[in-house]
Amino acid sequence: MERKKSFIKRYWLPLVLFIIALLLPALIPSFWVHVFTEILILGLFAIAFNLIFGYMGQLSFGQAAYYGIGAYTTGLLMVKANWPLIATLPVSMITAGIGALILGFFCVRLRGVYFSILTIAFGQLVFFIIFQWYSFTGGDNGLQGINPPDWLFSAVPYYYFTLIVVTIASIIIYFITESPFGYTMRAIRDNTERTEFIGINVQRYMLINFIISGMFCGLAGALWGPFNRSVAPDLCGWQHSGTPVFMAVMGGPHHFLGPMIGSVIFTFLNAFVTGFTEYWPLVSGIVIIFVVMLMPGGVFGVIKEKGYFKAKEPVSNGTNPVDKGRD
Amino acid sequence: MEFTFFFSQFMSGLTYGMMLFLVASGFSLIFGVMNILNFAHATLWLIGAYLCFTFWSLMQSYDIALWLSIPLAAVTTGAIGWICEVVLIKRLYKRELHEQLLITYAMALIFGDLIKITWGPTDKLIVRPPIIQKPVHLFGAPIDSYFIFVIFIGFAVAVGLWWFLKFTKYGHIVKAAVFSREMVNALGIPIPRIYTWVFTLGIFIAGLAGGIQSAIGSITLGMDMSTIIQAFCVVVIGGFGSLTGTLVGSLIVGEVFSFAILYWPDGAMVLIFAITAAILVIRPWGLFGTPLRA
Repeated sequence: MERKKSFIKRYWLPLVLFIIALLLPALIPSFWVHVFTEILILGLFAIAFNLIFGYMGQLSFGQAAYYGIGAYTTGLLMVKANWPLIATLPVSMITAGIGALILGFFCVRLRGVYFSILTIAFGQLVFFIIFQWYSFTGGDNGLQGINPPDWLFSAVPYYYFTLIVVTIASIIIYFITESPFGYTMRAIRDNTERTEFIGINVQRYMLINFIISGMFCGLAGALWGPFNRSVAPDLCGWQHSGTPVFMAVMGGPHHFLGPMIGSVIFTFLNAFVTGFTEYWPLVSGIVIIFVVMLMPGGVFGVIKEKGYFKAKEPVSNGTNPVDKGRD
Repeated sequence: MEFTFFFSQFMSGLTYGMMLFLVASGFSLIFGVMNILNFAHATLWLIGAYLCFTFWSLMQSYDIALWLSIPLAAVTTGAIGWICEVVLIKRLYKRELHEQLLITYAMALIFGDLIKITWGPTDKLIVRPPIIQKPVHLFGAPIDSYFIFVIFIGFAVAVGLWWFLKFTKYGHIVKAAVFSREMVNALGIPIPRIYTWVFTLGIFIAGLAGGIQSAIGSITLGMDMSTIIQAFCVVVIGGFGSLTGTLVGSLIVGEVFSFAILYWPDGAMVLIFAITAAILVIRPWGLFGTPLRA
């Protein structure tokens, strides 16, 4: 029945958002174009993270590692080998994917909170390697001078470039979530045991999903380097790993665009707060506590509760899947 | 010559392992009993270290300043932990994993910044009292005399926790609560109060560890994160919720770290992660843990 709805009816929200995003640079000053570029990049990061969290039901607290691998791949290729930006993007996805394959191999053996612990630990492992490998990554100095090509150098062209890449990536991720593979993920989330009983190799599927998520996190990171003109090890640190988690929780992990909405709120807040204080972590920590305490389910959750908006994909049984298997 | 060198390296590894044990034991206790992964545990440990520095600098003209500051720091940190439990953690028992983790992550962010605001970005160093300034010689090897104290405290806390869990009434309640909190609750024992005190005890040990750490070397911002990650590795290696496992895991990590740093300084952390990953493949529940419930 769902399939018969017209295209416009099904996809009005992303279409409206896309059109707004297309028109934005004409309406706002260039500082805010920068902020919106950041929103798109971090939004892609959060959407890719949500493949693991919202769709597979496991909480990865170390996705910044793959984001960082992507960012460093692009940075190193552009600075040390003079590659063009566009050619570095697929390479970044591949390196991040390989990183996710190696570390995910261990992570998918665990579930629930143990999965989270291991992803945190491995995330920090990547951070330490990048931090200490001075000769290759520049250590805590990071890499400077990652300049995008001339035609992308100013804010507006880079914004459109990011918009195109992020839109294409989001559409691909959307099709993955709507494919049989995506529904296998939901089955694993809702009942891992039963999924195993019908003959699905759960660990292998989880690993594949982990790799896909890592690849798109890597792509987001790859967009970040040239946008920021530099990369630093902080990109892979634990603080940055929490960002997509919070974005997904704030926007609502059970809607495909929820993490992007979370990114809009979070990044706006960041741009606003860092304008007058350097203690952004303090402020964001307080905001996180308030959001988690007062609006579980995120923005989409609140809207759904009030009945303004019918989410396309209600979560199957009302309980959160991440918690399955504890107690 | 070869042996004395080996022995002093072994002792510094033992010290490092004991420091890790003090952090990881509280972390593991809180996780085992309350099922809450305290991301901010090492940040509270660092607060303990900074508090100890502050108490010490207030009394530094006296020789006993350090010995008074350590317990004071532990008690103050424990009090901070108690406040966190009552104000925040208490509301999280029935919440989902990602919410609990986000809250403790937020606590780590907030406390990290509060440390920066309160003590500033410069490193802090405690001048040791004369009694522990000179090394002692054991088997001909010069050993930092403070290390002996650290190792002693580590073993004392290990034995104390073991005794508490094994022989006291409250220890039995705590162990029963790990097994089945509904049943314990049904017997009329107030679980929330038990949880509050378990959390406070865990943070108290973290504060004690912080206080002890402050006299080992200089205290710097950001120390907390490398410590919490090593604590994660310790509980993965030793097994979740096992006190013996935490002790053995800490000692393994400490010794590996201490010897690896001689031959491959940059790779010490990587080696620890390699061990963690290997343990996970061979025994996913850790050396002393019980197999995970599905």
